[in-house]
Amino acid sequence: MIIQLKKFGTTLVSRPSGKEALLAFRPMLNQINENEEITIDFEGVIVLTPSWADEFLTPINKQFNERIQLINTDNSSVKATLSILNQINNKNNL
Amino acid sequence: MSSKLIKIGEVSELLGISIDTLRRWDKSGKFSSVRTGSHGHRFYKFSDVEAKLNSATNYRNIAIEWVRSQNGFELDSQIYCETRDIFQSRLEALQFELGKILPLEGIVSLVIAVAGEIGNNSYDHNLGNWPDIMGIFFYYDEKNKSIILADRGQGILSTLKHVRPELNSSTEAMKIAFTETISGRQSEARGNGLKFVKSVIINNPLSLDFQTGNAFLHIKQNDSSLVIRETGIPIKGCFAKIKIEKTP
Repeated sequence: MIIQLKKFGTTLVSRPSGKEALLAFRPMLNQINENEEITIDFEGVIVLTPSWADEFLTPINKQFNERIQLINTDNSSVKATLSILNQINNKNNL
Repeated sequence: MSSKLIKIGEVSELLGISIDTLRRWDKSGKFSSVRTGSHGHRFYKFSDVEAKLNSATNYRNIAIEWVRSQNGFELDSQIYCETRDIFQSRLEALQFELGKILPLEGIVSLVIAVAGEIGNNSYDHNLGNWPDIMGIFFYYDEKNKSIILADRGQGILSTLKHVRPELNSSTEAMKIAFTETISGRQSEARGNGLKFVKSVIINNPLSLDFQTGNAFLHIKQNDSSLVIRETGIPIKGCFAKIKIEKTP
């Protein structure tokens, strides 16, 4: 499955909107097969903050962990957010 | 060096006045330094700098006045975001405008992310619990390339006291907020917003003035010293000025 973050918006900033995004997307996550890989695509995202990411990406990362691949992470705020979540979650991929 | 004294370079940054001008003002007595360095280097009292900073009439000082005043006052609707939705739409509008003149996926994405974290923090920590006026002050000062944010909320000390009851000063609370992963919203895995803000500022051509209660912090690119100073007059809630220092 490919999760295109731009479908949730291009300025992904607040906690409530991250939480809402996860709630809305939960039915899709429940359909993922046991061995299916998940690609999270950051293409088109202009602003990402740790608050939004912590509500949406952190729970997905906890649930699927090594099956997750992140692509198109060149945006400066995406890089900075992933870096701070990495330090906090102390994981390699998020 | 005592945190009550400031080097001329930092005074220049805080006031937006060149070092040459500060030297001239020192000689003429218009704005005097206190020389204490072994080579006669100029140092200034933080209280003098603070008074100078707060004396000009500009949007920064309207925000400071708003958070200092006992009961607050009505703000122009252009600079007041009562709810998070209003803040989000104005933040996106600012992102669009800045994107016309600066790299959208570079410095603009970072400065909007920092403003988004600080602004949303105000709503996150005060929802249903604003002491008097809900919402935030939000303004972009185009001339000085600065984003001004302020709220009349609980402030960092009250917020962190929920999880660290032993805290008793805004300076201690501010230091923790900028260095440790901790949240005033107990039992939630959160509390990394200001660490993110610090990391982005230190690694990019940006600077930040941040105040909560009577604690004041100035951080800039390549400076991780985190010197927190005490101001003369405390504020309610938080105040932040994010400045874009260099543009291509």
